[in-house]
Amino acid sequence: MSIRTKFILSIVLVSSLIITSCRKYNESYEDPDEEWFSGGSQTFFDGNTSGFDHAFTGLDARQMQNHEVGDKAFDAAFVTAPAPLNSGLGPLYNNVSCVSCHVNDGRGKPPVNGEPLSSMLIRVSIPGANSHGGPNGIPGFGGQLQQRSIAGKMPEADVQISYTNINGTMDDGTPYTLRQPSYTLNNAYTSLPPNYLMSARVAPPVFGLGLLEAISDYDIIKYADENDMNGDGISGKPNRVWDVLTASYRLGRFGWKAGQPSLLQQSAGAYNEDMGVTNFVFPVENSFSQIQHDGLNDETEISDSIMHAVAFYMQTLGVPARRNAKDPIVLEGKRIFNQIQCASCHIAKHVTATDMAFTSRSNQKIFPYTDLLLHDMGAGLADMRSEFQADGYEWRTPALWGIGLTQKINGHAYFLHDGRARNLTEAILWHGGEAEASKNKFKKLSADERNAVLKFLESL
Amino acid sequence: MRNLYIITCILVLISCEKEKASNNVVSTQSDVLRDLSLNVYLSTYENLSLRTNKFHQDVQSFINNPTQENLDLCRSGWKSAREAWENSEAWLFGPVSTNSIDPSIDTWPVDFIRLDSVLSSTAVFDNTYINNLEESLKGFHPIEYILFGFNGNKSANQITSRQKEYLLALSENLRQLTLDLHNSWALQGGNYVTEILNAGSSNLFPSKLSAYQEIANAMIGICDEVANGKIGDVFTTLDSMGEESPFAKNSMVDFKNNILGVEAVYLGNINGSDNKGMEDFVRMYNLSLDGKIKQKISQSKAALAQITLPFGRAIFEQPIQVQQAIDAINSLKTELEEGLLPLIQMHVK
Repeated sequence: MSIRTKFILSIVLVSSLIITSCRKYNESYEDPDEEWFSGGSQTFFDGNTSGFDHAFTGLDARQMQNHEVGDKAFDAAFVTAPAPLNSGLGPLYNNVSCVSCHVNDGRGKPPVNGEPLSSMLIRVSIPGANSHGGPNGIPGFGGQLQQRSIAGKMPEADVQISYTNINGTMDDGTPYTLRQPSYTLNNAYTSLPPNYLMSARVAPPVFGLGLLEAISDYDIIKYADENDMNGDGISGKPNRVWDVLTASYRLGRFGWKAGQPSLLQQSAGAYNEDMGVTNFVFPVENSFSQIQHDGLNDETEISDSIMHAVAFYMQTLGVPARRNAKDPIVLEGKRIFNQIQCASCHIAKHVTATDMAFTSRSNQKIFPYTDLLLHDMGAGLADMRSEFQADGYEWRTPALWGIGLTQKINGHAYFLHDGRARNLTEAILWHGGEAEASKNKFKKLSADERNAVLKFLESL
Repeated sequence: MRNLYIITCILVLISCEKEKASNNVVSTQSDVLRDLSLNVYLSTYENLSLRTNKFHQDVQSFINNPTQENLDLCRSGWKSAREAWENSEAWLFGPVSTNSIDPSIDTWPVDFIRLDSVLSSTAVFDNTYINNLEESLKGFHPIEYILFGFNGNKSANQITSRQKEYLLALSENLRQLTLDLHNSWALQGGNYVTEILNAGSSNLFPSKLSAYQEIANAMIGICDEVANGKIGDVFTTLDSMGEESPFAKNSMVDFKNNILGVEAVYLGNINGSDNKGMEDFVRMYNLSLDGKIKQKISQSKAALAQITLPFGRAIFEQPIQVQQAIDAINSLKTELEEGLLPLIQMHVK
C-alpha cells in the first residue's frame, strides 16, 4: 500500500469517525423503537389488569422485598383500634385502604348510580393561607373533609354531587354535552363557615411516579414561563410547597395541584388524611383540634418502616408500554396533538436525573406527557381554592401515560381532577384558560382527525 | 418435465398441510378461550351465584326455625359458596376487580369493634345500610364470624336476634353481589364473557395474546397470593391473626380451592366437565412443559394435603409441612412464569 493510499484511507477513516461522532450527539436523533417505551427501561408490555402493578426491574433482593412489603401494606384494610391486625382506622377517614381508592394502582372515579363516595374526596378550606402558604383549613374540619367515621364519632359531613348539562357543538356541527358538577355538604357535625371552599379530587393513578420524582428540579423548571415571555399563550408555573421533614420549601410535583414535594410526604399525607392513620411524617390525628379528637397522645399507627416501604412501593412501580404506537392513525393523531399544541404542556419526553444510589430510575428516557407545572385551565375547571403557589384556576398538567388503559384496568373512563369528564373527548373539551386555543383547534378538526387524536391518547 | 410436475405437486401438498396445521393452531387457541370463558369462568360465577342464593335461603330457614340442624345447614352453605369463590380467585380480572366486588365480599380482617357497634345500634339493616357499610363489615368473613363464633363452636342458641337480622342482611348482600358478578359476565348481562370469546377483535382484548396473558397472569397471581400472602405472611410473622377464614377453620380448604381454580383453568375442567383449557394450548408446542405444570399442580395439592391441622395451629406445629406447601406453590408459580408465559408470548398473536 502506497503512502498516498494510506493517507487517503486515513482521511476517509477519520472523516467517518467525525461524522459518526456528530450523529451520536445529534439531539434530534430518534430511536425508532422509543415510541413504545413510555417508562424507559421500566416499561412493561402488559396492557392487562396488572399493567400498572409491575415492580421496577433491576431492584436487588432487599429492594424487591421492600417493594413487596409496601405492596401488601398498600392493600391492607384498616379497622378500628384496638385490633390485632391493621389497627388504627380513623376516627375520621375517607376510606379504609390505599387500594380502595387506587384500584389496581389506577384511577378513581366519582360515585355513579347512587354509590357512596369511595375513590374521591373533597378538600376544604377558608380563604387565606396557613403559616406555610398552604390552604387554610376550616376550623373544626381541617383541609380535607372526612365523610366517614368509626363508631361513636360523627362523619364531618355528607357530600351530595349534582351535575348540570352544558351543550355545545364541534365546528363540524357534531353536538356534545358536558356536565358541570356542583357539591353540597349536608349534615355537617358542626356548623360550617359561610365562605368555605371545596375542591373535589379523584384518586390519581400511582404507577410511574418514581420516575416523575426522579426528574431533576432543573429539568422541570426549565419549561416554566410564568409571565409568558415567549408569547405562546402558555405559562407553566412551578409550585413551591412545604416539605414537612426538611422544614423547607421545595418544588411541588404530586397531587392535582402539585401540592406535595415527594412520594413519601404524599403517601404519608394520604395515610393521615384519607385513612386517619398516623405516621412519623404526620403523627397528629386529622381530627386534632376538633371536638371529636380523642386527646390521646399515642404512638403512630403504622411503623416507620411500613411508611417507607409504601413510599418505596410507589417509587418503584413501572409504566405500561404503548400499544399500537406505530399504527398510521395513531401517528397521525400524534402529529395533530403536537400541531394543535397539546404538547406545549403535555411534554412528551423527559430524562430522569443520574442517581447512582437508585440506579433503576437513574438516567431514564421517559414519555409521561406532562411538564409537572401549573397552568391556568380556565373558569370551567377552576375550584377557586389556592394551594401554595397554585391559584384557584391552576392545575398541574397530569401525566397521560397509561391513560388508554383506564377502561380496561379500572373499568371506567372518567377523567379530570373530579372525574366530571365521561370520556377523553369531554376531558379535552373542558380545557380552558391557557389551553383554550388548543381546545378550539381540536373543535375545528374533522371527525377523522379528532378520532386520530383519541386513538393516539388511547395508545399511551 | 414429469419430475417437475411431481415436485410441484409435493410442494403444493406440503403447503396445504402447513396451512391446515396453522388453521388448527388458530382454531385451538380460539377454542381454549371459548371453553374457558363459558365453561370455567362463567360457569363458576353462575355456580357461585346459585350457591349464595341457596345459602341465603338456608339463613332464612335458620331464622324462621333456629335449630342447630339449620345452623349446620347454613355453615355448609357458607362453605359451599366459599368453595366456588375461592376457585374463582384464579381469575381476579374483569368486573370482579373493576367493580370492586372482591373487596366487598372478601375483606380481611373484620372490624370487630365496629361490628359490635353496628349490632348494638338500632339501625335498620336494609340494602342501603349494608351497601354503605365498610368492606370489613360485610361479605364472607363477618358472616363466618356470626355463624361459627371465635372458636368455631358457636351453638344455635348463642346467636342473638340482632345477629340474625344482620346475618340475613349480609347473606342477601352476598347473594346480590355475586348475582351482579355473574350478570356482569353473562351474555345477556354485562357480557364481559364476549370480550374474551372475541379476543382479537374485542374492545378490551385487542389481541388473543392479551387475553392469554391476562389468563396466565391471573393464575400466577393467585399462586403468589396463596404461597406468599395467605400462607407466607402468616407463617413468617407467626401471627395467626393474619389468617383468613379462622372461625370456620376453613383456611386450608380455601388454599386448596385456590389451587383447584388454577387447575381448572389449566385443564379446562371444572365440575367434571372436560373442555379445552390452557393445557390444550401448551400441548401443541411443548409436551414437556405440560407435564411439568401438571406435576407442579399435583405437588401443590399434595403439599397442602400434608398440613393436617387447622392453619392457625399448623404454623406452629407443622412448620415443615407449611414451608413445603409454600415451596411447592411457588414452584408452580415459577413454572407458569418461566414456562407458560414465554410460550404464550412466542405463539399467540
